[in-house]
Amino acid sequence: MKKLWAWGALTVGLLYFILPLLGMTNFSLKMRRGVYSLDAYAVVLGDPRFQETFVFSILMALATIIFGVLLVVPTAYWVRLKLPGLRPYIEFVTLLPLVIPAIVIVFGYIRLYNTSSWLPLTGSITGTNILLMFGYATLALPYMYRSVDTGLRSIDIATLTEAAQSLGAGWTTILAKIILPNVLVAVLSGAFLTFAIVIGEFTMAALLNRPAFGPYMQLLGANRAYEPAALAVMSFALTWGCLGLIQLVSRFQKGVQSAA
Amino acid sequence: MSFLTLTHVQKSFGPVQVVKDFNMSIEKGEFISFLGPSGCGKTTILRMIAGFETPSGGTISINGKSQQNLRPNQRNIGMVFQAYALFPNMNVAENVAFGLKVAGAPKTEIAARVKEMLGLIRLDHLADRYPYQMSGGQQQRVALARALAPKPQVLLLDEPLSALDAKIRVSLREEIRAIQQKLGITTVFVTHDQEEALSISDRIVVMNAGKADQIGTPFEVYNTPATRFVASFVGTLNVIEAKVVDPASNRVAIGDQQLTLRHSIAAFKAGDPISLAMRPETGSLAESAEGDTALTGKVVSAHFLGSVIRTRMDLGGSTISFDMFNNPGLLPPAAGETVTLRFAASDLLVLLD
Repeated sequence: MKKLWAWGALTVGLLYFILPLLGMTNFSLKMRRGVYSLDAYAVVLGDPRFQETFVFSILMALATIIFGVLLVVPTAYWVRLKLPGLRPYIEFVTLLPLVIPAIVIVFGYIRLYNTSSWLPLTGSITGTNILLMFGYATLALPYMYRSVDTGLRSIDIATLTEAAQSLGAGWTTILAKIILPNVLVAVLSGAFLTFAIVIGEFTMAALLNRPAFGPYMQLLGANRAYEPAALAVMSFALTWGCLGLIQLVSRFQKGVQSAA
Repeated sequence: MSFLTLTHVQKSFGPVQVVKDFNMSIEKGEFISFLGPSGCGKTTILRMIAGFETPSGGTISINGKSQQNLRPNQRNIGMVFQAYALFPNMNVAENVAFGLKVAGAPKTEIAARVKEMLGLIRLDHLADRYPYQMSGGQQQRVALARALAPKPQVLLLDEPLSALDAKIRVSLREEIRAIQQKLGITTVFVTHDQEEALSISDRIVVMNAGKADQIGTPFEVYNTPATRFVASFVGTLNVIEAKVVDPASNRVAIGDQQLTLRHSIAAFKAGDPISLAMRPETGSLAESAEGDTALTGKVVSAHFLGSVIRTRMDLGGSTISFDMFNNPGLLPPAAGETVTLRFAASDLLVLLD
C-alpha cells in the first residue's frame, strides 16, 4: 500500500513537471500548419541576434565561472583552514543573493558605479560587462560557495596543506596543485550551475543594457508565437545538459572521491 | 655542536600552557622519540619544529640557524603524518616527486630520485597507483619516501604507525629505523606507544604535562626511571607502598617484612611513607627468603600466557605481579600457595614525584 502511494505521488509529480514541457515542445513544433516541423528552431537559430546574444552569454558565463572560482575557492579554503569560526557568517553572506532580488542588486550597482561615481564602470562597454560579470558572480555565489565548501569538507585540507608546506610548497602551489584538483568535481558542479544561471538571466543584463540571451528570449517572447517556445526548449536542454555534465564529471573523479 | 636545538621553548594556547620551558639538544643522525600520553605536548613540539606552530617563547635552531622567522615551506623539514596525507589527485610517483618539483629540480634528477626512493621503500612496482588503491602500510611508506625525496635536514614523524594494524606497525617501524640509519637523517618521532619508542630510538624524551620528565636512552628510561610518571608510563610497574625504618641504612618495611635498598633514602625520615617500584620481569621464585632481596607472599592468581606465567602475589597490603618464563618442568604456582620472590637489590626503585 505504501509503495502504491509512493508511485502515485511520483506519477503526479512527473505529470506536473513534464506535461507543460511536453505541451511547450509540441507547440514549438507546430509552426507549419498541420504538420510537425523544426521551422521555429530554424528561425531562431538563423536569427543573427540569437547568435550574438548566445555567444555573448556564453562568454559572460565563462568569465563569471573563472572569476567565481578565483574568488570562492581561496575564500572557502581559507575560511575552513584558518577562520572556521567565521564559517556561519560567510555562509549567511553567500546566501544573501537568494533573498535579495536581482533588481535590487543591479540598482545598487548602477548607483555605485554610474558615470558620475568614483568608479564609473557603466561609462564603457567593457566596464559594464565587468559589472555584469560581478552581478552574475553574486547571483551564482550561493551555489558556487556551497559546492566548493562541500568539496573541501570531503578532504582533510589541514593535513594536506601541512604536508605540501613541509615539502616546500607556497600558498599558490598548494591551491593550484593540491586543493583545486581535489575539489574539481565540486568546482565543476558550481561552474555548471553558474553557466545555467547566466544563460537564462534577464534582469541584470536588461537593466545594464547588454545584449545577453535572457533579454533576447524576453524580446522574442513578446513579439512571436512559436519561436519563444523553441527557445525555451533549447534553454531547458542546455540546463539539463549542464546537470548531466555535473553527473558525468562526478564519475570521472572516482579516485579523489574514494580517497576522501 | 648539536644539530637540532630547542632552548627554553614554550607554547600556550590561550591560558593553557601546553609546553613548559622545554630544552633539548639533538645530535646529527640521532633518532629521538617523544613519548607521552595524549595532551602532554609532544606533537606541539614537533609542530613547532616543523613551523606549523609558533613558540610562545624560546628558540629552535637547526644546524646553528634559528628557525624563528622561517615559514614551514622554508625549513627543509620532511614530515610524515598519522593520516598519511598523500595527495589524492597524484599517483605514487607524482607524490614522491612533488617536493622536488616544487624545488625546481631538473626532470632527470626528479625521475632518478623518485626511482631511488621507491626502491628504498620497495614499492617500485606501484609507481602508477593512486593512494586509494593502496593499503595503509603502503601509503605510509610512500609518505615516508615523499618526505625523504627532497633530502630534508630533519625528518619528523607524527605518530606514523598509529593508524596501522599491529603486524604492519612492527614491520614498518623496523623499516623506518633501517632507512633512518641508512640515510643518517636526524629524526624526531612522536608516539604514545612505549614499545615503539623503546625499540627504535637512540634516545627517548618522556613527556608529561608539557615538560620532559626524562631524556635518556631506552635502557636508561626503562631501568632507571627518573620520576614516578616515567616509571608508570614506560613498561609495566609494580608500585609497593612501604615505610622508612632507618634512612641512614636505607632500611624500609613492606608490611611486616624488612628490606635494605640499594638506593639512598637519606632525604626521608623514619616512619615516612615511601613508594617503591619493581618491574614484573625482575624477580624469580626462590625456595626460601635469604637476605634482604626477597619478598614472601601468597599467590592470588597465576595466568599461563604461553611463553610467560604472570603471577599476582599479595604482600599483606600491596599486590604485585611478576612474570617468569614458562618452564615445562615446573608447574605454575597455585592460588593460595605461599611463595618467595627473589630479586636484585638494585631492581627495587624508589619513586619520586
